[in-house]
Amino acid sequence: MTLVYGLITGILFGILLQKAQVLRYDKQVGAMRFLDMTIFKFMLSSIIVSSIGIYLLNDMGFVKLSVKGTEVGAQILGGSLFGVGWALLGYCPGTAVGALGEGRLDGFWGIIGMLCGAALYAEAYPFIKAKILPLGNFGKATLPQALGVSHWLVIIVFAVITLAMFFLFEKKKV
Amino acid sequence: MFKKTWNPYVAGALSGILLILSVWITGHFFGTSTTFVRVAAVIEKSAGIDISKNEHFTEKKGKYGAAALPDWQLLFVGGILLGAFISSRTSGDFKIQSVPDMWRKKFGPSPLKRGIVAFFGGGIGMFGARLAGG
Repeated sequence: MTLVYGLITGILFGILLQKAQVLRYDKQVGAMRFLDMTIFKFMLSSIIVSSIGIYLLNDMGFVKLSVKGTEVGAQILGGSLFGVGWALLGYCPGTAVGALGEGRLDGFWGIIGMLCGAALYAEAYPFIKAKILPLGNFGKATLPQALGVSHWLVIIVFAVITLAMFFLFEKKKV
Repeated sequence: MFKKTWNPYVAGALSGILLILSVWITGHFFGTSTTFVRVAAVIEKSAGIDISKNEHFTEKKGKYGAAALPDWQLLFVGGILLGAFISSRTSGDFKIQSVPDMWRKKFGPSPLKRGIVAFFGGGIGMFGARLAGG
């Protein structure tokens, strides 16, 4: 049943990604070049809605958060490499798969490259685990915890900043 | 439903609702990159490479190994491919394209050049994503 849920969720998400036109190199690199903010509109809308919903369910005890560890060294280095790769490919892992689904063959070469990157990571893992993961390791930290404030304050501030950005996007027509 | 494009704010908000329902009903957050690690393990294994001593593929009870498949995330990734295909086919938006328009303008029409950069971009991006934990 878990597998069926995965498939249905993936299909619905794939439809939404396709309809929003975010499965396109032109849109993704367009966002990096501040020419077209479609990706930001899609992602930030999704984050606002889901953070409110998931924290509401969390407060009521219906769901459990899945907090990732904060490893500053690995995340700065990994995030930077991800940025370089994302700019060259023009798709992130999920959108490369979706791009292939709407006929974009460069997505396929990206997927093959990603499988190689994943295999390479597994080979390099002993070194990474010993030397890089321990750099600036804060464990499972969240912003509300670190600031010592309610998570709702963080969500409200985030939502206000995001809505201001949306207003700017619409004004500039990007 | 069959319109080619939806407003990105609306589609994004609907994705947010989809994520909430997924977490609520099945406990699964959205993610795709771990599947690439597991599939890489499957490919290496079927190519006859001995990965039984690889620390990454075997740690945490084989969470990142070949035996973790099939799982929710693999089907989620497959679903994205299928969903994008269905959506683009039913709205007439499906188009086989080897070189994106913006790329063509800057770097020319060669599919080989585009394919090579896409391959290395994917490799570097995935290595970075795994290093950063997501």
